[in-house]
Amino acid sequence: MSYTIVVNGVQRSADVDGETPLLWVLRDTLDLKGTKFGCGAAQCGACTVHMDGHPTRACQTPIASVGDGRITTIEAIGESSIGRALQEAWIEHDVPQCGYCQAGQIMTAAHLLSQTPKPTDADINEAMSGNLCRCATYTRIRAAIKTAAGKA
Amino acid sequence: MLARRNFLKASLAASGGLLLTTSFPSARAATLGKAAAEDVALNAYIDIAPSGRVTITAKNPEIGQGVKIMLPMLIAEELDVSWDDVVITQADLDTRYPEQSAGGSQATPRNWLPMRRVGAAGRQMLMAAAAAEWGVPASECGTRPGEVLHAASGRSLSYGTLAAKAAALPVPGLDSVKLKDPKDFRIIGKPTRNIEVPRIVTGQPMFGIDVSVPGMLYAVFQKCDVHGGRLVRSNVAEIRKLPGVRAAFEVKGGRDLRGLLDGVAVVAESWWQANRARQQLDIVWDEGDITGQSSVAFAATAAELAKGKPADILRRDGDVAQGFAKAAHVVEAAYSYPFLSHIDLEPQNCTAHFADGRIEIWAPTQNPAPGSALVSRTLGIPETAIKVHMVRAGGGFGRRLSNDYMVEAAWISKVVGAPVKLVWTREDDMRHDLYRPAGYHHFKAGVDASGRLVAFSDHFVTFREGDAIANSADMPAVEFPARLVENLEYGVSMMRLRAPTGPLRAPRSNGLGFAFQGFLDELAHAAGRDPVAFARDLLGAPRLLPDPPGPRQGPGFDTGRMRGVIDLVAEKSGWGKTALPKGTGMGLAYYFSHLGYFAEVVQASVSPAGEITVDKVWVAGDIGSQIINPLNAENQAQGAALDGIGTALGHGLTIEAGKIVQGNFDTVLPLRMRQAPPVEVHFNVTNHPPTGLGEPALPPAIPALVNAIFAATGKRIRSLPIKDIDLSASA
Amino acid sequence: MIRFVFAVAFAVVAAATPALAAGDTPPVSRGEYLARAGDCVACHSAPGGQAFAGGLRMATPLGVITTTNITPDAETGIGEYSLEDFERAMRRGIAKDGHHLYPAMPYPSYAKLTDADIAALYAYFMREVAPVHQANAPSEMPRLLRQRWPLSIWNALFAPQAGFTPDPTKDASWNRGAYLVEGPGHCGACHTARGWAWQEKALDWHSAAFLAGANLDDWSASNLRRNVATGLGAWSKADIVTFLKTGHNQHATAYGSMSDVIGNSTPYLSDEDLGAIASFLVSLPATHDETAFQYDAASAQALLAGKAEAPGAKVYSAACQSCHLATGAGAPPFMPKLAGNPTVLDPDPASLINVVLNGAAPLLAKGRPDAYRMPQLRQQLNDRQIADVVSFIRGAWGNHAGAVAVEDVAALRARTSPSSDRVVLLRMH
Repeated sequence: MSYTIVVNGVQRSADVDGETPLLWVLRDTLDLKGTKFGCGAAQCGACTVHMDGHPTRACQTPIASVGDGRITTIEAIGESSIGRALQEAWIEHDVPQCGYCQAGQIMTAAHLLSQTPKPTDADINEAMSGNLCRCATYTRIRAAIKTAAGKA
Repeated sequence: MLARRNFLKASLAASGGLLLTTSFPSARAATLGKAAAEDVALNAYIDIAPSGRVTITAKNPEIGQGVKIMLPMLIAEELDVSWDDVVITQADLDTRYPEQSAGGSQATPRNWLPMRRVGAAGRQMLMAAAAAEWGVPASECGTRPGEVLHAASGRSLSYGTLAAKAAALPVPGLDSVKLKDPKDFRIIGKPTRNIEVPRIVTGQPMFGIDVSVPGMLYAVFQKCDVHGGRLVRSNVAEIRKLPGVRAAFEVKGGRDLRGLLDGVAVVAESWWQANRARQQLDIVWDEGDITGQSSVAFAATAAELAKGKPADILRRDGDVAQGFAKAAHVVEAAYSYPFLSHIDLEPQNCTAHFADGRIEIWAPTQNPAPGSALVSRTLGIPETAIKVHMVRAGGGFGRRLSNDYMVEAAWISKVVGAPVKLVWTREDDMRHDLYRPAGYHHFKAGVDASGRLVAFSDHFVTFREGDAIANSADMPAVEFPARLVENLEYGVSMMRLRAPTGPLRAPRSNGLGFAFQGFLDELAHAAGRDPVAFARDLLGAPRLLPDPPGPRQGPGFDTGRMRGVIDLVAEKSGWGKTALPKGTGMGLAYYFSHLGYFAEVVQASVSPAGEITVDKVWVAGDIGSQIINPLNAENQAQGAALDGIGTALGHGLTIEAGKIVQGNFDTVLPLRMRQAPPVEVHFNVTNHPPTGLGEPALPPAIPALVNAIFAATGKRIRSLPIKDIDLSASA
Repeated sequence: MIRFVFAVAFAVVAAATPALAAGDTPPVSRGEYLARAGDCVACHSAPGGQAFAGGLRMATPLGVITTTNITPDAETGIGEYSLEDFERAMRRGIAKDGHHLYPAMPYPSYAKLTDADIAALYAYFMREVAPVHQANAPSEMPRLLRQRWPLSIWNALFAPQAGFTPDPTKDASWNRGAYLVEGPGHCGACHTARGWAWQEKALDWHSAAFLAGANLDDWSASNLRRNVATGLGAWSKADIVTFLKTGHNQHATAYGSMSDVIGNSTPYLSDEDLGAIASFLVSLPATHDETAFQYDAASAQALLAGKAEAPGAKVYSAACQSCHLATGAGAPPFMPKLAGNPTVLDPDPASLINVVLNGAAPLLAKGRPDAYRMPQLRQQLNDRQIADVVSFIRGAWGNHAGAVAVEDVAALRARTSPSSDRVVLLRMH
């Protein structure tokens, strides 16, 4: 079945089964590989995208349930001032080690800053604990979010 | 250090500039004493374009340890170019490069001098080219970034204009090149950002799992959850009829648990379709003999074995029985740690394209050369017909030192005759790992009336795979505190293990450090001593304790360097000087591994309900005379310490009937943001060759945490993970 | 000799018995079809073991019962059973050697099976099931019950051995549904409350206690009557059929023991039979008047704005929201909705707590697992957090089911085990 969804402001079509997770539609059908597969069970956050501005685990989002929800991925988050500030702060703090989780981290952080422009450590802990970083770059993620919060 | 035989070559680069390559015998070849002629392999190159742009190739796999930046920094420093003019390219697997692997924190010690010499040789040739141009002695020339200078005449020429001439000059011997005085370093020692970050934060395709090849199909591979189980029959014919499936077939593999095993491959037009079809597989396996293959049985057997004499004595100094007899306090304790999976966040994957007897492979691997050899052996094609691209890996931690996923992808591509991307699920990854082996230690030790450690024994119960000790399941005979206790005995007994094991970040040390440093903390308390004072006394005067001669002889253990980091971490953490509230405590641990000396203090709080908060970690390390990239060094040390904390709190696999029970992050709990304390990192810079940092900060974090929990609660943690232990006040 | 209990019953229900289930190849015998309807394989097979060879350990309030080998192996199975022996075991709970079976075997329900169906099942087990030589394990019961004579008293009191009584005022489909539900399907074994002696309080539709929901094995099996909030009052017949065919519909998703039923039983029944079951279930009146669920958007608005301050709301945001959404609407049929879900509204929170603690096993419909699965959360959330989040769910979006106590979570945590994520396929061939 063909589904038409709005990704990064563009209408895109995918001829897939309705159960197919948005993650695999993004990666393999629409060739947007920034959204990562880590666990397939909404446990790691590597696949975090925004649906209507809210962080969503693409691996647990059946394409049939997307409807007219507007999807934003890491490839386009830099078009917002918050997203751009976060990307710059990630570079400034040299946050990543392997880098695999960082797209998901930035997507979650972007929502945090949209809701809480000056987050405390407690705010960051609460918002960011759904995103695993196996390299444990948490110290720098925290610092980078605070830097971005000052600039966004 | 190994003697390096020099084969430096200069040639005209494709860009029209200088292409500088160098070669020396690989460490493996040198160890085997092979003839130089067949050892020749090019190990790095510099390409200077007429524009002055310098392209430096990074030869090693990048798994997040930052080596893709670090190795080129060494070359660029001695070449004396501006870092802003450097472009880095990733090498493929190439016989011209030695030691293209990522493991053991080896990149720094093995490349510190060779890579600098490559850069220095280039600089010397550029100076020679300029000297010839000006008709002055080369000795009168110097450089500043990107230019050769003649101070006396005030002339200068850019590297770009000199490159082509330099390429025609004779090549200096690598041993004879003059290296910079470290005080003149402009790049080494400066915080240097990872050039890949802009691509990472914008989601550019750069990881193995992102590889895309025209006409590519997607594959999954179902193996037996009892490792090495044999395929009897399957409903693969029905699977072929499912949506999107292009091929589904049985694979008869071999006996090598790190090679191609029995299984069923499903290949489809999308990964989701392949995996959905795979979920309908109905396979009958011959699991083989799984007697005793459970965590419960292993623990029971280990406890039983510990009652008897060890099967082998690893080390015996003095007489422990006499030592115990004259001790004022004798302490006994059993420590154990579980099997662990590496849980790289990027699941194992590989893309392979077999065509016309040749195969091209894109693999996020830590160790491509053995992978190529494995593919060659298994597919029956020569290595010259195999091309391996090393693609950035989403974490390694030792998992990608094996290349099982590579040979699976290669095999599947060969069968279907199309490019194939194989992607494992998280469950595949956790259940088909090369596990950090569990271990069981039965300690007994005595301290005399003055609080001195006089006798120490460990009966270590570990695993064998077949008849040999399992990979990474051994213990060095020099394991601390050996060489410092007059009466000491280490014995080993083994149990049969079906699951394959392998190195996990800080192999051996990540388990031994917990057990030994946890028990030593118990001894300090038994002796009525402060753990820092107890450690200082145990280490004694600064001196080198040499390793016994042999093929695996290490550099020895420097008690002074260890005391140095203990003193540093005690000072930085305010050890013994900070009044802590009830329920909060500090723990110390120190450990030498991968040539690095690390002491760490953890401060932790435990609520009456038993919830642990790790308040802070202080890390003090001694990795020699130079921190090459402080920006990455801090990141690596913080990450390693937090990896230790996370491992101690939430990792642990159990085996039931030969199968790994856990499959995903609902049962293995990696560290999350809310659990991650601040980590303060300090280095003692000492006059020793620089060593690596991927691993040595990890081992002490685990015992420092359990020792802190003891300080906070009076409860000893002798088994991991801590999540399985009730620390509530009522427990 | 087979007793012809109710000739009328036989005529009514047999008429609706299909010879074959549509779409299946090779043809399924009537006996196999009935074995599917009764889900014999679910209890009489151990995980990883062979079909019908027994060995499953079943916890009961009195002790652990290990199910028996019902393959036609002469020595360890039922190979020596005559049709009469088989009938006596099925309908009266008496084994060939005369000992009484524990009533974990639903013989009070199977007493309603027609003679023809008993004979068909017998033929299936004797001729189509492969013998497996596997000795039965002893059950772990208290001393008194190891001597089985008290069971004869129990049987006299609670197992009336009544056959199925068709209701001539209802149509054939309804009667077929009643037969399947009360008889082979033995739905009441889980969904009807049990009395002081572990007896089902009702065995047929005449009693309001029948299928009114029950707690068994730490799962609260739903009320299947027309209660509009806590039962199936909001479900159409089509909803019921969809649920039984696939394990989910727009209202709910199967979990716990119902996963076994979906895995091995109801998806294999014919559309006519599923329709008959639906016809019967929608005729069962509500036990009492309930207020229908009314969606309230306030919870979703608070969650989306990050302003839900209740501790349970914070846990929900972190652990549940990515699948079940801030709206509690889920993504049926893939992820169940929580707003107005009868399991959420059940006065007994056992299932909700249990599924949060332990997750759900992969739900199989005709061998195909669901694309999505509930993970266990017992390791990630403590008792307080689970009590908070379950209380939040039971009170959000218009749900009014009441808070749960941290002690209830602790007790269930201690008694239950996490479900495995591994697909367990019980092959009947």
